[in-house]
Amino acid sequence: MASTSKKLAEAHKRQEVVAVTGAASFLGANLIGLLEEDDRAGRIVAVDIKAPLTAGKKTRTYEVDFTQPTTEARLAEILVAERATTVVHLAFLSSPSHASAWAHELESVGTRHVLVAARHAQVRKLVMWSQTLLYGADPSNPNFISERQPLRAAPGESYFRDKIEAEQEAEKFGQRAQGSIVTILRTAPILGPTVHNYVTRYLSQKLVPTMMGFDPLLQFVHEIDAIAAFKLAVDRDLPGTYNIVGDGVLPLSTVIKLAGRIAVPIPHPLAESLCAMGWIAQLAEAPPAFLKYLRFLCVADGAKARDKMGFRAAYTTREALIDFTSAQRLRDVKLLQETPA
Amino acid sequence: MSGDEKSGKPGKAGKSGKTKKPRPSKEARPTKEATPLAKKPAAAVTAPTTKRSGAVSASQVRADLPPDVPSAADSLAAAKAFLIGAPAKKSAPKKPPRAAAPKMATPKTIEVAEDPESDELDRMETIPVPRVEKTPEVDSAAPTPLIPRDAPSGERIADEIRALEERLDRMIDEASQRHLPTADVPPTPPPPSYSPPSIPPPAASSRAVDGAGETVFDTARELLSTDFYLRKWGRMGMRNRSEEVDDFGFDPVYEHKVRGAFNFLYEKYFRVECEGIDKIPAEGRCLLVSNHSGTLPFDGIMLKTAVKREHPKQRDVRWLAEDFIFHFPFLGAFSNRVGAVRACQENAERLLRQEALVAVFPEGVKGIGKLWKQRYQLQRFGRGGFIKLCLRTQTPIVPVAVVGAEETNPLLFRVEVLSKVLGLPYLPVTPTFPALGLLGLAPAPTKWRILFGDVITLDGYGAEAADDEILVGRLAERVRATIQAMLDRAVGERRSVWFG
Repeated sequence: MASTSKKLAEAHKRQEVVAVTGAASFLGANLIGLLEEDDRAGRIVAVDIKAPLTAGKKTRTYEVDFTQPTTEARLAEILVAERATTVVHLAFLSSPSHASAWAHELESVGTRHVLVAARHAQVRKLVMWSQTLLYGADPSNPNFISERQPLRAAPGESYFRDKIEAEQEAEKFGQRAQGSIVTILRTAPILGPTVHNYVTRYLSQKLVPTMMGFDPLLQFVHEIDAIAAFKLAVDRDLPGTYNIVGDGVLPLSTVIKLAGRIAVPIPHPLAESLCAMGWIAQLAEAPPAFLKYLRFLCVADGAKARDKMGFRAAYTTREALIDFTSAQRLRDVKLLQETPA
Repeated sequence: MSGDEKSGKPGKAGKSGKTKKPRPSKEARPTKEATPLAKKPAAAVTAPTTKRSGAVSASQVRADLPPDVPSAADSLAAAKAFLIGAPAKKSAPKKPPRAAAPKMATPKTIEVAEDPESDELDRMETIPVPRVEKTPEVDSAAPTPLIPRDAPSGERIADEIRALEERLDRMIDEASQRHLPTADVPPTPPPPSYSPPSIPPPAASSRAVDGAGETVFDTARELLSTDFYLRKWGRMGMRNRSEEVDDFGFDPVYEHKVRGAFNFLYEKYFRVECEGIDKIPAEGRCLLVSNHSGTLPFDGIMLKTAVKREHPKQRDVRWLAEDFIFHFPFLGAFSNRVGAVRACQENAERLLRQEALVAVFPEGVKGIGKLWKQRYQLQRFGRGGFIKLCLRTQTPIVPVAVVGAEETNPLLFRVEVLSKVLGLPYLPVTPTFPALGLLGLAPAPTKWRILFGDVITLDGYGAEAADDEILVGRLAERVRATIQAMLDRAVGERRSVWFG
């Protein structure tokens, strides 16, 4: 008994203080919900422009706008005051934005703010969100891209460029700040019953545009698995970069069929100009750089996360898609019932 | 004493599937608790220390880890429990968590079946039942004998207790031995032909860890681990259905549909003759190294069809195709669905490690871009990448010579001016193309022969030989010479391009 209580006391003493940036985002809110129920996390510091709905007793929320020039000092102040041991940096856009200057401030510059503040507060661990999207779709990709491959997504597109810059900053931070752990989790496109991003919007259209003659293999990760991966990175010390992906791949045509949508094949030169116009007119879901992902492969290899991290996705790509689809169908049906014909 | 100690730990019980820690199996045995319990059965109600003791299981023994070591399964479980709205496990020090009932509430199939069990446990806390009989190690067949409540003599009780203790020890040992190896690996490996290593079959999952749910899991494992279930409904089995492709995009159902066209080309059009097909091993990894020819590479498809038709095991050939075909609409997607894979080291290595039969054309674009006057003269074999691959993966090589494909679209000139615009390595000029338009690209109906040479093994060299450029060059040259000799012989024997 004595030994047990001592152990428990030690565990209490070593309780982590986890700061989550982008706390109101999908990943942030759910991670906070998980940490609330975990005794290893003593306190949670939620940083975002609005409070996460999952915040409970352990969470203290700070409203910080990353696009303000005072962010750096403010954030450092918060981290020092709260004695944060871990920073989970999730303040990234999950869908491309028209406000590219604002997005640049938030993602690229915002990451620099977070890193400077983290160094100031001597944070032990930094966990950062990234995406396998950044490898870029290209016919010369191997079928399963490993973490060693450079990020080759079109640098002309600010959505990719900002995130690549952010990752480079984080890597530099990891090299410079000796002794602190930097974990970067590159998730495949996240699907699931509750998540909303450009992929779910793409697949909830009645008519889904595809590139004529191209049928690339796609890969998804279920939202549960994505969140579990972040929880794992908070719980354990796992320096390095990991691809967080679901098992298996599906051709785009099959994805659309499984989602119960109708594919509309468009010749790709035409599609590109249409998409460019649509993006300017705010009709298209994503800028034309994303069309490459409808033509070429961008599938990442989850072997490193499995071996080094002990992460195993509970849902395969197919199961994640089906889980998303079933929720989406119900949403469609309800929408039809609510709106009078 | 030990009640708290025990209850502090089993909060972690769910993880034992994934953490590999040495587990002290001796200390944590519940022998101490069994004694007071048997003597004063009625007192068991009040003492929180004893009421759990019956349910102490092998899992608890295995879960004997410091409470602050986080684990993969733990976080996963917490994540899932949180997301589906079920309460996550707590390892609060005061309240004894449910040791026996695993709280791994996953939104999936069988695990759900545990919940009634755990509820039952809660209710039973108030009932003065000797908990020893609740010992969950069910698979030792006979039920544990009940301890009579009004035991007549102390000696008999003591004997029974001793017997019980022994039995419990034995069962815990058995259970821990049985669980430890299976905990990390799915009970039955998926059938070897589809062998991405990672995926456990969905239902008979490795989370069957804890005591109380044992019966359910044993039944499930027994039922669902037969090969037939896995082949038909397992995650691998689903890939035989139309909606799923394998990791590299090969779609068996689609391939079956277009096989008729391949068979026509093979039988009627090119009238392919095969020689030495039995040189290809019946199973295991193997690399077919072939010459490459024809402006449009039909040789990959014909090689694949030949092995599928003639080889006793009807193995599927995955051939490595040049990047540029994946630039093209239709062509890339089509080749990918019937088994072509983009040629790169990573892909080839991954395929070979899955014990696949892989075909490479080391000449690459230079092979199909040979001019008419260079026909049947092998070009440089890249930089010997295929040799490095074989050295690293210890793969045997079968040299292949394809005769007849050179004449399908004899190349007169290469125009390289427009190539950048079209994404092609060059623009071919043949007697019929571009004169007859796209129709001119149709292959001439030549008579083909495919020869398979003797297996070349590189077992003598270690994996580190792959870094020895000189050795790699020499070995590549040796393979090239073998294929060139086969080509020369076959071309010499041939009397007519059209009739063989």
